[in-house]
Amino acid sequence: MRSVRGRPSLYTSYEAETRLFPTRVQQVALGVFVLVILLMPFDLPVIDQLPVIRFLDENYWLKVVNKALIFVIAALGLNLLSGLAGQISLGHAFFMGVGAYTAVLLGGPDSGRLWGYGLPIWIWLPAAGIAAALVGVLVAPAAVRVRGLYLGIATIGLVFIGLHLSRVFPEVAGPGALGRKWPRLEFRIWKEEEPFLDLTRKGKWLWFEVTQHQKTYFFLLVLVALFAVVSANLARSRTGRSWAAIRDRDIAAEIMGVPEFRAKTTAFAISSFYAGVAGALLASFSIQFNPEAWDLLLSVEFLAILLIGGMGRVSGALAGTFFVILTPHFVERFAHWMGDQAEGEGLMSGFWDGFVSIGSGDFGFVSVSQTALGFPLPVAALDEIIYGALIIAFLLFEPQGLYGMWVKVRNYWKGWPFSY
Amino acid sequence: MKNLFRVLAVGLALSVVAVACGSDEAKVEYGAGVTEDTVRVGAIADLSGAFAPLVVQIIDAQQSYWDKVNADGGIAGRQVDFVVEDNGYDVTTHLEKYELMRDPDNGVVLLSQSTGSPHTAAIAEMLVEDGLAAIPLSWYSAWPDPDFGENVFESYSNYCYESINGVEFLRDYMASEMGNDSPTLAILSFPGEYGQDGAAGAKIAAEALGIEIVHDGEATVIPGADQTPIISALVEADADMVWTTINPSGLAGIMGGAAAEGYVPLWSGNVPSFSYLLLGTALGPLFDTNYIVNSYIVTWNTDGVEGLDEMKAWMGENNPDLPVSDAYIIGWTEAMAAHQALEQAAANGDLTRAGVIAAFNEVTVDYKGLAPNQSWGGDANDTVVRETYSYDVVLADYDDGATIADGGGTGTALLRGPWVSDITKAQTYDGACFKTGG
Repeated sequence: MRSVRGRPSLYTSYEAETRLFPTRVQQVALGVFVLVILLMPFDLPVIDQLPVIRFLDENYWLKVVNKALIFVIAALGLNLLSGLAGQISLGHAFFMGVGAYTAVLLGGPDSGRLWGYGLPIWIWLPAAGIAAALVGVLVAPAAVRVRGLYLGIATIGLVFIGLHLSRVFPEVAGPGALGRKWPRLEFRIWKEEEPFLDLTRKGKWLWFEVTQHQKTYFFLLVLVALFAVVSANLARSRTGRSWAAIRDRDIAAEIMGVPEFRAKTTAFAISSFYAGVAGALLASFSIQFNPEAWDLLLSVEFLAILLIGGMGRVSGALAGTFFVILTPHFVERFAHWMGDQAEGEGLMSGFWDGFVSIGSGDFGFVSVSQTALGFPLPVAALDEIIYGALIIAFLLFEPQGLYGMWVKVRNYWKGWPFSY
Repeated sequence: MKNLFRVLAVGLALSVVAVACGSDEAKVEYGAGVTEDTVRVGAIADLSGAFAPLVVQIIDAQQSYWDKVNADGGIAGRQVDFVVEDNGYDVTTHLEKYELMRDPDNGVVLLSQSTGSPHTAAIAEMLVEDGLAAIPLSWYSAWPDPDFGENVFESYSNYCYESINGVEFLRDYMASEMGNDSPTLAILSFPGEYGQDGAAGAKIAAEALGIEIVHDGEATVIPGADQTPIISALVEADADMVWTTINPSGLAGIMGGAAAEGYVPLWSGNVPSFSYLLLGTALGPLFDTNYIVNSYIVTWNTDGVEGLDEMKAWMGENNPDLPVSDAYIIGWTEAMAAHQALEQAAANGDLTRAGVIAAFNEVTVDYKGLAPNQSWGGDANDTVVRETYSYDVVLADYDDGATIADGGGTGTALLRGPWVSDITKAQTYDGACFKTGG
């Protein structure tokens, strides 16, 4: 049952209104989108012509995309907590760490100085989520007592508790700066030698040769689709509506009969589940992970992702993650391209030459050869400046994030030529 | 007429042969990372993260070295293309950049630097899969162990052996300079593979020399945390000498805090504990009188080192505005090792990745006095470097903010080195001193 054709805002039934993709246009767009992302990792003629994603099938970019997909899962979790339920949490890195350590405790090999039970992925991955969810339930009562900025500060403490615990238990987390090896992304029935599906080595599916990045990509795509659909459904369910009420004014919601404690606890539990699974995947994906990586900066990165992408929307979390993860890589590649242009003989090479410093002594704003911090800016510093500038720009000019920008563009064209 | 014809024919044949032999350089077999005119050498370094200030200087020195190699004609007639990628001290980013390096079409033939212990450990297996060699920027004692890093070719000695040598030197120094024949020792270290490896070495030395450890602070110093409890415990223990395996900011905090309470022992520590920049702070005089610097290599001020004079001459001409630093020697020597391995591979006629690995296992790197000569082939117990250097701090020789063109110094004077203690010599290398179990 969809909306009436030609009248996209007219809904004739409740089911039609709450559908995830109610209009024909949205359904077709979804179909095309799914087709493109399924075919993207392969070298196919049509896909290779599309502007931005044509090079995403190279190994390097596919690895970056895989990392972005893992971050999407965590961002969806934080979106539920902060975007839908309005609970500011800077402890997301802590929950990811809890998930990762549960995964390595259950799935990692047991050796003299490190604990591990060597269990297969279908135990350690869900267990990572469940353990993080349980910890989230323990933390939730704090959200009932404090709200807003104060809750944010309280959750900062979680990150440092996590770091401290990782130092007290090097048997779980591995020694200080080195960390330990996480269980690989491979599927076994129980503790056999050979996994029946190994995502970390290249192999053959049907008649295709697939690389490990392509395999991991599809596995992560399935997980992201699952989590995104659950997230979107939660938003339009009773739980989601109670979260929205809490977000807007929790005292008023309580008066109306929305159970504040239960809603906040559910929000923490579910978002921590997402974070735990994402943390376990991230650590496994990185092979060797050091305990200091679950720090405050990681939590802030997720907040930045949601701010840039748009709080409260699944598409916002997706767009924000890809934007924040891919932009530094684009900037680096662009800087190298600028350097090549400056050295070459194209039309604009004079301009690039003035802008880019190729060797020591050559004038420029950005340097591709020297890495010393200062003027001219090294490429690494350029990344950081752009990242910070984007966060400030979005907060000032587009608080709804990329989703808000999309809505404005869409509304303009909806009313065209009468848009004013 | 016939004879003339024969002579001409022979002459022609000989000249053809001469021309063919003359272009031997281009006959080197090559594969990923090498083309007809370039050799691509890579580095995945921390240019924006926790160790950026140090690593940026190391990379600048490496870049300078490769510029010199190119000016001198390159390798096997090819110019070296030095590709640096930033990992921001993040393991996942390191893995992403590694994908660029390992690519068979656009990748590199060897990694002349890989910053970070966990980062290099994460790629250790992939290095073996891809047959790529890497030089790590980490001196954890596990790198010479083929089970831990088969294609990882470490530079110089390691934290553990440095500690053994260093503690024995401290004991000797106390006896000869301060008239104390049985000094007591305190140990302070970070948790983790750096701190606890260094502490392990200090304990080995203490046991062998019969030194009493009155304060065992292994893994008690947390980077960035408040050091007051550490300082109190240290002052209470009142050891004659303190061995530290921490970082410069921790060292400054603890030394300063202890001195404020009137506790002034003889301090020393592993290379990463000290930075010559500390001499420009208010603690400079304390370092001058009470700190012994250790290193795997020579420092900027050392005289009579051929490699150092060469480096200073080249960098003085080409990078005169860079600040004076001991870190450049690390980068320069890393590049020397990579260069000599590549030259060996070219001499063997095999500039493929596998050829470079074979060359690393064959070559003995001559650092021209900058560090002890080094080789990797054969049993780790035979090839692991055991020599280190110990320096006195001379504040008068430290020039704050000097650039290479100014010709300033970093404030250290060589006391002993390269030297190896008998205890270190007697150690049988069978893996890291601080075992992590996985």
